[in-house]
Amino acid sequence: MNLERLPNEEKLSLCRKYYLGGFAFLPFLWLVNVVWFFREAFLKPAYTEQLQIKAYVKRSALGLLLWVAVLTTWITIYQHFRAEWGEVGDYLSFTIPLGIP
Amino acid sequence: MSTLPVVFSAFQTRKMDLLSNKWIINLIFCCFFIGVSCNSVENKIYVHLNYTIPCVRLLNATHQIGCQSSLSGDVGVLHVLESEANLDWVLKTGPNPPYMVILDSTLFTRSIMMKLKTGSSRVAGVVVVAPSSNPSEGFSPHTTCPNENSGVYSESYDPALAHCNVTVWNPLGNGLSYEEYDFPMFSLKDDNDTQAIKQCYYNHNHVVNGSSPQYPLCAMQLYSHMSAVTDTATCMRRNGINFSLNPETVCDPLGDFNVLASTRPLNYTDKGHKTGESVVIAAARLDSRSFFFDIAPGAESAASGFVTLLAAAHALRNATQEAEPNRTILYAFFQGETFDYIGSSRLVYDMENKQFPLDLDNVHSVLEIGQVGLHGESKLWVHTDPVSRRNSSVNEEVEKLIKNLNSSALNLNFSLQEPSFSQPLPPSSLQRFLRARPIPGVVIQNHNSAFTNKYYESMYDNAEYLNMSYPPNLTPEEQLEYITDAAKALTEAATIVARALYTQAGGSDPIQLQNINVDSQMVTQMLYGFLVKSNNSWFQQMVPSDFAIHLRDRPTNFYVGVTQQHSEPTFLVQYLLANLTGTTVNITQDNCQNQREGEDDKESKHIYSYMWVQGAAPPNSTERVAFCVRSTVRLSKALSPAFDLKEYTSKDYSTWTESRWKSIKGRIFLVASHELEMLTLGVGVAVLIASLMLTYIISSKADILFSSGREPTAATY
Repeated sequence: MNLERLPNEEKLSLCRKYYLGGFAFLPFLWLVNVVWFFREAFLKPAYTEQLQIKAYVKRSALGLLLWVAVLTTWITIYQHFRAEWGEVGDYLSFTIPLGIP
Repeated sequence: MSTLPVVFSAFQTRKMDLLSNKWIINLIFCCFFIGVSCNSVENKIYVHLNYTIPCVRLLNATHQIGCQSSLSGDVGVLHVLESEANLDWVLKTGPNPPYMVILDSTLFTRSIMMKLKTGSSRVAGVVVVAPSSNPSEGFSPHTTCPNENSGVYSESYDPALAHCNVTVWNPLGNGLSYEEYDFPMFSLKDDNDTQAIKQCYYNHNHVVNGSSPQYPLCAMQLYSHMSAVTDTATCMRRNGINFSLNPETVCDPLGDFNVLASTRPLNYTDKGHKTGESVVIAAARLDSRSFFFDIAPGAESAASGFVTLLAAAHALRNATQEAEPNRTILYAFFQGETFDYIGSSRLVYDMENKQFPLDLDNVHSVLEIGQVGLHGESKLWVHTDPVSRRNSSVNEEVEKLIKNLNSSALNLNFSLQEPSFSQPLPPSSLQRFLRARPIPGVVIQNHNSAFTNKYYESMYDNAEYLNMSYPPNLTPEEQLEYITDAAKALTEAATIVARALYTQAGGSDPIQLQNINVDSQMVTQMLYGFLVKSNNSWFQQMVPSDFAIHLRDRPTNFYVGVTQQHSEPTFLVQYLLANLTGTTVNITQDNCQNQREGEDDKESKHIYSYMWVQGAAPPNSTERVAFCVRSTVRLSKALSPAFDLKEYTSKDYSTWTESRWKSIKGRIFLVASHELEMLTLGVGVAVLIASLMLTYIISSKADILFSSGREPTAATY
């Protein structure tokens, strides 16, 4: 979808939908929001709705950063300690590698 | 891949009545190309190993033992080890690690293996070349104190006798089978393929006068990735997770079936204590193992014992049918004894929990036949447990049993002696009975204190070790009938056992006793069948037809294997025991296979078992005359109670499991130097980038480069 062709109100409503959707444990929506609307929010000359779009993009970026931090921490801990956790580690796993602890 | 030449367009301009010609010619082309095979590049690079025997991973409650390779195989540059000093090349100085070490069997020792194990970052794998004859100094990869923690001698029973403090049973044991290796280990036969591999080494890898070998080098890749890891509790837990995306079984418990038979039929639906029944258990063990997977010739450690018991059972058939002694004799062949007494612990457990038609209270005494292979001497040793003999009633019964044995040996050229000092029992199934309660019992062995078996639980414990030597130039049929010295010695032993059992069971008729004689022809046929070739005419007569196709032209493999896979010796002993202790009954095949004697017979299947065996072909025809054998032979499950109780960390019962694996294979090929590989990759990447850039440049200047000579004439007149 080419944002150039959309009127500004529709751009704003799209940005808001993605922002609100990301709260349903969907951080990729926030990622899409940031990447897609970055140029609209910060690099285009000002228009009425840009301020709100800017706010949504900033908040999406914040949420995204939080998710990345949490997931990175959890994934590092899990990959490092799963073998030592024994039974708990096995019950948490969807796929257990064969032949290595 | 073969490609069809596309010839359709050439025919399109032809007329329609040549359509049939076109199809005929196409068909001929297709057939031509089907006949041509593809010339695969893979076959030009790799030579696959034909005969590969791996070492696999086994797990128990606390450890994992055996070997593991990486998932995509371990690649190493071949190196034929010349001596222990040559290990330096592999572990320190060699310029092309990791190495795939090829060992001759003389170098397969504990010190070399431990050094390879510690230097395993430079070792990709080990290949052991199995020799064609046994090493003279002996070799036993088992531990020095077999089944140390699962017998009766523990700190609570008698601390002075625990952990082989008094006698080290297997002094030649180097414990290699019970170590953990993180590289694959394979065994190859010393044949042409192995010679080709060594030749590849001498052509490409061999170091002359200190110069390092030049690339390309000969390398080998071994695949033996094992799925299970850590210990039995972990792998059984991972078997049963149904939450994961791809539930996969990673290990299986070891186990099989015990073979049991009795002189008087027992009602198998009536489980628990049987009042008034007093049983003498005659036990022997059926299984063995070696360092490598599925190789277990077990001649002295297993076959000598159970062949003696089979022969004794046959000799007792008439005596126990005509003048029945007052006690029943239960012949028990236990499977899985090598791995912490799987079979006997299961039987004792079943007896304690009313899962068996007898109870431990019904057991009067136990006579076990251990390793009785004789190498020239005519003397056997009678081992007893000193701790249980402190009880005077048990001691009295043991003394009576020993007296019976001695009186049976009087008239024969044999002597039976007790060890001169107070010594615990060697590893034997009797120990599991004693763990439950003090039962009078003896174990007959061919050694006074330590084992005389130089090859205990190794791949060298074969017919050659038992002195089963046949004169040259005999056909297989003649070899089957030839009575070897080993057979003669075991015949004597079996006669003593049979007569002692008769007396122990309460038989008192001296004429019957004298008539109990073991047929040495039968003993030699059994030894031939189990230790030389199981596909012989005598075995063929006694098995049902659907099992007869599984008989092989090689010795029986006595490894107990996993529960789901039924091992050959169990079936062979079952059919043999049925034929040797049972009777032929004249019933139809249909009735026989349905375990009944007549159309309305519903009771017989609880006490007897019926087998429809192939039989022999009469002299002047080729059709076998099949018949039905009725016997009291039963199979009882030999799976460790730890798996039924789901106590996978149990210290009381065997917890041995075997890992599963996906593929076991090996191949050799020439490998290039790392620099050459990187150069090839670099050139390839450079060509890719260059072609991309060229394409980009050409496409951006396309209008200049591809301007056509004729301009479209804009002016139209």
